[in-house]
Amino acid sequence: MQGFRLAFSYLRIGIMNEFQYRANLYIQILQTFIALATGLIGLNLVFAQTSELGGWNKAELLAVMGVFTITGGVIRAAVQPNMERLMEEIREGTLDYALTKPADAQLFISVREFRLWQMVDVLTGFVVLVVALIQLNWLVDLWSVLGFLSALVMGAVMVYCFWLIITSTAFWFVRVHEIANLFEGLYAAGRWPVDIYPNWLRYGLTFLVPVAFAVTVPAEALTGRLTLQTWLVALGLTVALFIISRVIWRIGLRNYSGASA
Amino acid sequence: MSSVISISKLAKHYQVPEREAGLKAAAKGLFKRTYKTVKAVDGISFEIQPGEVVGFLGPNGAGKTTTLKMLSGLLYPTSGGVSVLDYEPSKRSHDYLRQITLVMGNRNQLSWDLPALDSFDLQRAIYSIPADDFKRTRDEFIEMLDLKDLVQKPVRNLSLGERMKMEIVGALLHKPKILFLDEPTLGLDVTMQKRIRTFIAEYNKRYDATVLLTSHYMADVEALCRRVIVIHHGRLLFDGDLSKLVEKFSAFKTVGFTLSNPVADLSQYGEVVSVDGLRVTMRVPKEKTSAVTTRLLNELVVDDLTVEAIPIEDVIESVFSVQKEAME
Repeated sequence: MQGFRLAFSYLRIGIMNEFQYRANLYIQILQTFIALATGLIGLNLVFAQTSELGGWNKAELLAVMGVFTITGGVIRAAVQPNMERLMEEIREGTLDYALTKPADAQLFISVREFRLWQMVDVLTGFVVLVVALIQLNWLVDLWSVLGFLSALVMGAVMVYCFWLIITSTAFWFVRVHEIANLFEGLYAAGRWPVDIYPNWLRYGLTFLVPVAFAVTVPAEALTGRLTLQTWLVALGLTVALFIISRVIWRIGLRNYSGASA
Repeated sequence: MSSVISISKLAKHYQVPEREAGLKAAAKGLFKRTYKTVKAVDGISFEIQPGEVVGFLGPNGAGKTTTLKMLSGLLYPTSGGVSVLDYEPSKRSHDYLRQITLVMGNRNQLSWDLPALDSFDLQRAIYSIPADDFKRTRDEFIEMLDLKDLVQKPVRNLSLGERMKMEIVGALLHKPKILFLDEPTLGLDVTMQKRIRTFIAEYNKRYDATVLLTSHYMADVEALCRRVIVIHHGRLLFDGDLSKLVEKFSAFKTVGFTLSNPVADLSQYGEVVSVDGLRVTMRVPKEKTSAVTTRLLNELVVDDLTVEAIPIEDVIESVFSVQKEAME
């Protein structure tokens, strides 16, 4: 209960903060537009040569692009800024204030930042998705909507856990800023469904960096590809990653306060 | 009355990697690291009673901040016991954290781009303060520190002193029983220091709060603390009335002067602390100050003579040297 209140208060503060920087909104709109345009051009170039890619047709791939844009927006709005702040604070030793608060430390460090203008990406992603679904003559059916939404949430949670694990290593290695760039590079691979990649890369993007679950699986749900088996694997992996990330975070925290020394 | 803060034989040792300067040594460090143990806090004990305001003094690196961090649950002690309000701080129980606050003069926790009022709301959510309570306390503090015209301004537009006042309000909105204040007046001008001091004294009185304060400004300590605890190199040197400390160790004054010609032997006037060319600094017993300065002026050719009280760091230093002699 207090957790929700806290998250909501920070969300409110984050939104108020963003309103102070209106220019960022225009920059964000421009960025989203450029990303969308390059994405669409890429898609059209590919489908000028072929009518199918790894079993996905053009409209289906447009749906993947929509999901890719939505999830990317959510990560950049709510996950990445919190984790970057945490990295900074661990490096500078200023995490102290966060740890003297009567709130769960992990929750606290995960809700402090929110970049409202990244929601432009989320909205654009939805528009792209809707256009794709219309092209596919998609009929609303409850199961695929539920499958899609649950897969989207699980994917976001997995990416959050992945970030938290990487960020927690800052307790030992101190300089992990390059990781942010690394993630962006790997996430870009999610623009295409992971089925089109060679096996080693597909496994990497599925289990090492959960890009497949964040983008491909939700898109599968909307295009009638999602099997119960995949959904259950996603659920299991979400729970597992959450537990692992929490354990690593706690060990890191003990290390920070010198409990392990 | 039972004590609210109780520390016994508290120690915190750090393992820090050690290496010599230079590329070769750095490369060697890749394979084999040697560690050195730094004893930041090395077996200190003290008790603090409810409602006390205690000055926690010592030169830089004495272990003050480390001790405060152990008290506020940020650091695990290497050994020894800490108990605050019957809690073990390092467990960081929420019930404990709700009753304390930590203010560090060199760090800020208010949101830079927003008016302080918005950040205060955040504190309300963090500490789950009931709305009425929150509003009353907030307005009371704003009134006491005369901040009414400033709370609507983004924090980045405030001066250092105004910002510090806001920080203190934010840190006290949940009405903590224990205040750990680490250099709360750092870098502020005299008026602002005084303002903050008065506020802390008032808070202490109104809410019967216990305060442990570190400061480099002796004026802060004099105004607020009857009792002081002095530590140095992680060890306790003095624990008692401030007046006793000053009386005992500040029985000297510093006399500084510039000679026109070098003089071979000055020891007949007092203890020479330093000679820098013709500039001499001397330590003279307080009661002999006027006699010595008169003699200096009569017997030697002297320019710009000054008499100063010994700064707090030096008082502490002299506590340290006395302690060392006693131990030998």
